[in-house]
Amino acid sequence: MNFDQSLDCKGLSCPMPIIKLSKAIKGMEAGQVLEMIGTDPGSKTDVPAWCEKTGNEFLSMEELDGETKFYIKKK
Amino acid sequence: MFKKGILRELYDSIFAKSWPMWFGGVLLAILNILLFVIKYPWGGSGGYLNIGQNLFGSMGVDSLGTSTAINMHTVAILNIMIVLGAFVSSLFSKEFSIKIAPKGELVKGLIGGALMGIGSMVGVGCTTGGFFTGVPALSGGALFLTAGFLIGTFLAMKYILWEMEAFPNVSMGKSYTFLPGTKEGMGWQRWLAWILLAGIIYVISGYNAEGSAAMKILGWHIIIGLTLGFILQRSRYCIVRAFREPFMTGESSAPVAIMIGLLILIFGFTVLKYFGVGNVAETAVRAIEMKAVYPSFWSKALIGGTIFGLGMTIAGGCAIGTLWRAGEGHLKLWMSILGFTVMAPVSKVFIVPVFESFLPESQKIFLPDYLGYTGSVLMVLGFILLAYIFVKWNEKTGKFSAL
Repeated sequence: MNFDQSLDCKGLSCPMPIIKLSKAIKGMEAGQVLEMIGTDPGSKTDVPAWCEKTGNEFLSMEELDGETKFYIKKK
Repeated sequence: MFKKGILRELYDSIFAKSWPMWFGGVLLAILNILLFVIKYPWGGSGGYLNIGQNLFGSMGVDSLGTSTAINMHTVAILNIMIVLGAFVSSLFSKEFSIKIAPKGELVKGLIGGALMGIGSMVGVGCTTGGFFTGVPALSGGALFLTAGFLIGTFLAMKYILWEMEAFPNVSMGKSYTFLPGTKEGMGWQRWLAWILLAGIIYVISGYNAEGSAAMKILGWHIIIGLTLGFILQRSRYCIVRAFREPFMTGESSAPVAIMIGLLILIFGFTVLKYFGVGNVAETAVRAIEMKAVYPSFWSKALIGGTIFGLGMTIAGGCAIGTLWRAGEGHLKLWMSILGFTVMAPVSKVFIVPVFESFLPESQKIFLPDYLGYTGSVLMVLGFILLAYIFVKWNEKTGKFSAL
């Protein structure tokens, strides 16, 4: 997947990934795609829920060994 | 013979996705009621204190108080089993790995844990014993403790957001992940989980074979602790989240999940207290009524709660949330366990007396002694309704949420 910016949240636990995600999205322009990489299992439900709440588009999620990549499009 | 597909389906429905948090709330409330009946309702900080005292004792430091052996202490057993239960559950769901956060985060875990150690001793209780158990137990101190948790969480949330802007490097830097689960096949993780389960069953049978009532009670605490850890990990049940989320994303699912648990507990505990049920060890009716009512009303609860609220938000897990996340492999939460375990006994001896020297004397207040059972239950239900209206209103308007 193509993305404009990547955010490393590896090793972080709740609530840091969502706080960082929010900050990163704020600094981007509408239509741009953010790749976020995390290791906290909680992010698998938190990130889609946050996107729904804030109106940003949750594009997809890719699970690799021990880490998950999320793709989010800023509204 | 059954088809392989059916068992696979069962396995996936348990382990493929996290459970909704409210479902965890229902199950945890039921287990908490069982704990009430068997011996004493659920708490967390007493276990940290016990393990801390034993730790200091084993190093020859007896001035911090001596304590029951860890394997004879119900709360210490519950705590250890919650870590193991969450470990087993995260192995089965392939969510386990050793997750090493950047240095700054590890330090925050340690400080957060230490603050929880202090707060839980000053306020006499944590978010579990003092809130999730204490509020439905109709303890007056629990209401002030809850107010303290809210204040502490609010302040710590401000701090975290400020830190993000002023010192973003604290949560950045090298992180490591070891031993993650692989996507295909059984893997070593599931084998290890089965072996651990077998080992735990062997230990339980050892406790029960001993025959005395006290040992059987401990045996049941192993079973219930394991189950608690399992449920906590699968539903990611997090009380910090319930307190924090209104000030962060504004989502109401976590606070509502905790409210559902509280409602069940109010029903359960009130019936048990009203009829004086819970006599495994032949406790007097008054002693049953006073279960989970601690001498913290009101100033100690408020101040201790605030300190605890700061700690749990910085650590990213309360006494119990710390345990199941540690079981899942987060090193930050192991640092929090360390801070909590060291500071609980230290603050009980050195810090609590300092607060007691200037605060008005705190008491055990059992609300029905003043308001009757009906009045107390209605009052607590009223608070929950108000909290519900607030979180739902805030979810829609975002008035208090920062993100």
